[in-house]
Amino acid sequence: MSATTYTSTPARPARATLISRTLKAEWTKLRTLPSTWRTAALTLAMGIGFGVAVAFSEVSQWHTMTAQQRQVFDPASASMSGVMIAAVVLGALAVRTVTAEYSTGMIRSTFSAMPARRLVLAAKAAIAAAFAFPVTLLGNVAGFELGQRIFAGQHAAVAIGHPGVLRAMFFGAVAVSLVAVIGVGIGGLIRHTAGAATILSLIIIGGLTVGQFLPAGWRQYMPGIATQAAVTVHRSAGLLRPGTAIVVLAVYAAIALGAAAMRVAHRDA
Amino acid sequence: MIEAQHLTKRYGKTVAVDEASFAVRPGRVTGFLGPNGAGKSTTMRMILGLDTPSSGSVLVNGKPYRELTDPLRSVGALLDAKAIIGGRSAASHLAWLADSNGIARRRVTEVLELVGLSDVAGKRVGTFSLGMNQRLGIAAALLGDPETVMFDEPINGLDPDGILWIRNLMKSLAAQGRTVFLSSHLMSEMAQTADHLLVIARGRIIADASTDEFVNRNSTPSVRVRARQPADLAAALTRRGALVERCPDGAMIVTGLDSAAIGGAASAHDITLLELAAHGASLEEAFFELTRDETDYHAGQLAGTSQGA
Repeated sequence: MSATTYTSTPARPARATLISRTLKAEWTKLRTLPSTWRTAALTLAMGIGFGVAVAFSEVSQWHTMTAQQRQVFDPASASMSGVMIAAVVLGALAVRTVTAEYSTGMIRSTFSAMPARRLVLAAKAAIAAAFAFPVTLLGNVAGFELGQRIFAGQHAAVAIGHPGVLRAMFFGAVAVSLVAVIGVGIGGLIRHTAGAATILSLIIIGGLTVGQFLPAGWRQYMPGIATQAAVTVHRSAGLLRPGTAIVVLAVYAAIALGAAAMRVAHRDA
Repeated sequence: MIEAQHLTKRYGKTVAVDEASFAVRPGRVTGFLGPNGAGKSTTMRMILGLDTPSSGSVLVNGKPYRELTDPLRSVGALLDAKAIIGGRSAASHLAWLADSNGIARRRVTEVLELVGLSDVAGKRVGTFSLGMNQRLGIAAALLGDPETVMFDEPINGLDPDGILWIRNLMKSLAAQGRTVFLSSHLMSEMAQTADHLLVIARGRIIADASTDEFVNRNSTPSVRVRARQPADLAAALTRRGALVERCPDGAMIVTGLDSAAIGGAASAHDITLLELAAHGASLEEAFFELTRDETDYHAGQLAGTSQGA
């Protein structure tokens, strides 16, 4: 059985066209802001620098460590400590992709051009994550290479081919990408750059400070601690398995983005 | 084409837009006139689907804005020229807008040229003056070559050259058959630009008429006259049915008689005239006249509702 429907209105572009245009627009926005590239450079410089500092600090304490401490020491994870810097800085960049538009009022241009608001938010999240991924991965590789040279003096270095190292580099980048999605979500919920960036920093860095007072079983679920767990090679006490950490971060990202999408879609812009 | 039906927006107990029903038609410049805070911007945000009406509806080219296919190709709008992130260049700002609606990038160059910003296309928007931002906002509105254009207070911050440019642009867009909807609180500007007026006060549409019709209907032409024997002239004119109002400087404002009749009356009574100047009705006068009526109407309506229905 067939039915023919005539409409006087032109056909809407296919859903796929709408999605690709929204993604393209959001990517153009991100890449044409000079501050985006400065932020990427800052992330790499600070992240790699932090990894190197951690490596030197571990090496300087090497002679005081017990044989057992040396055995559980994770040189790959230590050299990729910069992943925490990446989470904070690139997370804040993701926050700004939303809040900068609300604070200037440009969000009205955005929603006039692209009335599918949830799609806009999802595109912002996808672009922020896609930007965070290669930057973090590059930082992880560089941090690892520099760190292992420092550890080589103590014969504690591992090779890039060591089981779990590539996974740690990759999962670290995935974790920061998910933090970027959380950042977009918090940006959509809070709308103010300072407030949203502060909250994101607190849930990442706060896990290292406030989190100390939480029961050990809870602490490992804090986003910042889960990000740390993503770059581990050895199983470490008080940290989730890397795969579990990614799942936990993905759940946070889904909740933050979902809540933001509901709020953004129904409020006056 | 923009059509509003009982469009209403309430914020708590405040009614920003109250049952507004109107149509903005193609081929002419429609001015949206009202004092600051009258509901102009709120109405425009509802037209663009940015704010959701509390009740009623508004259609653009026959559809709710949010259901338009590639909205920038149907409607171009400039709400607030300063609402823009300063870090991008003018060309980049237009580039993302073009990408979002599948508009060819060459349109970016074209509209930048049209508004006279080609030379600063690569400069950061944050360094622009308000006038340059207005031009960029107009370029953004024209990017999709839309049938309907809408500008909220577009001449704010422009120099006289810029104002003249905008006025001519609006008229040429209307002459091309487009729907041009332009808000302003400046009546003199509206008198020179708009063919048709929608007047809004306290959220209510209180007039929907051609500019000429509006002015003629809502104000009376008057004549300013000075005479060597003012008391005699006033008496003579009053006898002929005129309304005479004495000014502190000794002149009189006469309504109900034209210059010729006043001159005739003066010569009949041997009165020497020192000044005789006809005042055309102004939009400003018409507007104040109408908003005064609006206040009375409100009071009358309240009294009426207690008895009626």
